[in-house]
Amino acid sequence: MTENIMAVLILINLALTASSRLGGCINLVAVQGIAIGLLPLFAQEGLTLRGFLLAAFVVILKGIVFPRLLINTVRDAAVRREVEPFVGYGFSLMIGTALTVIAFWLGTKLPLSLSPSGMSLVLPGAIGTIFTGLFMIVSRRKAVTQVLGYLVMENGIAAFGLAVVSEIPLLIELGILLDTFVAIFVMAIMIYHISREFEHIDVDQLSALKG
Amino acid sequence: MSLFENAIWLLAVLPVFSGMISLLMPSPRRVLASIAAGMLVITGIDLWVVARVFLKGTISSNNAWFRLDALSAYHLAVMMIVFLMSSFYACSYFRNEPAALRLNHFLARKFSAIWHGALAAMTLVLISNNIGVMWVGVEATTLLTAFLICLHISAVSLEATWKYLIVCSVGVAFAFMGVLLLAASTGNLAAGSTILQWTHLQSISATLDPRLVKLSFIFLLVGYGTKAGLAPMHSWLPDAHSQAPAPVSAIFSGFMLNMALYCIMRHLPIAARAQGNSLWANNLLVFFGLASILIAAVFILSQHDLKRLLAYHSVEHIGIIALGLGLGPLGVFAALFHTLNHSLCKTLGFFSAGRIGQIYGSHDMRSIKGTLRVDPLWGGGLFGSLLALIGVAPFAVFMSELIILKAAADARQYYAIILFLAGAGIVFVGALRHAIDMAWGNKPEGVAAPSSRLIERLIVILPLAALLLIGVWMPACFRNALELAAAIVTGGRP
Repeated sequence: MTENIMAVLILINLALTASSRLGGCINLVAVQGIAIGLLPLFAQEGLTLRGFLLAAFVVILKGIVFPRLLINTVRDAAVRREVEPFVGYGFSLMIGTALTVIAFWLGTKLPLSLSPSGMSLVLPGAIGTIFTGLFMIVSRRKAVTQVLGYLVMENGIAAFGLAVVSEIPLLIELGILLDTFVAIFVMAIMIYHISREFEHIDVDQLSALKG
Repeated sequence: MSLFENAIWLLAVLPVFSGMISLLMPSPRRVLASIAAGMLVITGIDLWVVARVFLKGTISSNNAWFRLDALSAYHLAVMMIVFLMSSFYACSYFRNEPAALRLNHFLARKFSAIWHGALAAMTLVLISNNIGVMWVGVEATTLLTAFLICLHISAVSLEATWKYLIVCSVGVAFAFMGVLLLAASTGNLAAGSTILQWTHLQSISATLDPRLVKLSFIFLLVGYGTKAGLAPMHSWLPDAHSQAPAPVSAIFSGFMLNMALYCIMRHLPIAARAQGNSLWANNLLVFFGLASILIAAVFILSQHDLKRLLAYHSVEHIGIIALGLGLGPLGVFAALFHTLNHSLCKTLGFFSAGRIGQIYGSHDMRSIKGTLRVDPLWGGGLFGSLLALIGVAPFAVFMSELIILKAAADARQYYAIILFLAGAGIVFVGALRHAIDMAWGNKPEGVAAPSSRLIERLIVILPLAALLLIGVWMPACFRNALELAAAIVTGGRP
């Protein structure tokens, strides 16, 4: 099951690099967040109450709260519903594929002893997701897509953590989730202010400060 | 005293209480005054705890979740000095804002809430023994202080805030990868709640997987280095420092950067020991340090904005501290000494730049002339702090830089000495020209300064006097404290 989820994750990465609609991207990231939330349920031996509660928390946060917040932000900012990348969608998809290949190569190179045996897709999938997030942050024009990129990167890091560390104390895991939540919230507020001040949310036009 | 020892987490809660009290104040002016009063109390308590750590040894509490040793206690003291000065300065700064920018009740409360929140988060970073909690604290400071940069919403302040948010969030996410890799390098020997404890990792650091620790240290250095403003990850820093209100720039430069470096200091001994005490991690710090010094020097030469000039000075000085950290025990000692020196003169620098900017209505150094005649107090503060910053003897910055040079000579890092001197030389010439032009020259028409109050005079004179004093004569207890803190960074090696 873990392998299937990771395969879904990798496919979503590729879809994100090629998708042109802002709303579609938000939905894709939401599905990815839900997949990440479900991952620990299958990685651990047996269902614990702790694991279940944490999974429920992540699914609600990443699958429902974040997408709602971002969709509202896009609506309030009244921006065109296009992604508007700096590079074309075809080229974007090619880079996405290349990143996935690099992630698979790195996954075999890293000197990690994976906790549960036979999870061959987890490490490449996680690294590929982090790469995709970073690529989205640097290659997209809208502030909202940068936030989406940050979320994808966080998803990748969560999967990576699951692959390399068997158990992180619950308190810290909650702290990290809270930080992500507040980060998205703060970014959404900033986008609102930027759209009011500039009447657009194109980050390439935020270039008054130099030197 | 066990009751007291189990309560050091209260240090992080104190600012929250103080913040709540200030929210109840009836007018903006009272809110700001209550921040300063609250800071005075918190500083008193914190410094008492710090003194206790240095006199009686490390405090560890709540199953070792919280811990205050010489290194964190020293940083706690520096932080409280910066926050105390900035809080008093904030009263004077916001009162002198032009009418359009004056704080209304809502903004004053917002400022107070975030100011105290940032203090609480930074305290959490310092007192936590758990590298995961430490990371949570660093990320929390990013998110809270973002609102301080755009306290007055404008096109440029929003631009600076957005860059700060994205660059630092991604950077700090890299640091989290480093934390995960470090946990993985234990080979999951010790699952459970101790896996991320700094003391635990420190004690088993010789048995960690060296390849993973290497990888993790790179991630940590790049991640926390972004937040610390090490070049080439410093792109957010000049924008954020120049657009934020002056008291905020002062805590950014005076302590937030140091806090990120403190996190690197915590990971340094673990990385060094896992590599069999090789100099790999140290050399990496030397490299980033020199890069920061040289890149900052280039930008200082061509700078016209006063606050951006000071921001690039921060990049330079963070580079000098990183350089010192990479140069062995004497270098670490000097780096910690430099931390205090830099914080003192940089906060004063931003204080003066903020008030001078208000008096002249601009931060463009080409239109700021004759500051010594217009306002002897803040003009003198700016001139003095710039002189101290570029390392004029006998200010303490000169002393700490001299010790770093000696440490580099001892470590036979001759190329580092040459590059450091080249960078410092460029900064000296470039900044001295700006400092002299601003201090003397013909003052423009119609510029007048309000008369200064006693508290403002103290804010200018005390840091300069302290810098002179510890530059000329270092008290034995201060030297002991620095040596104790340095021993933690070097992992107990002499």
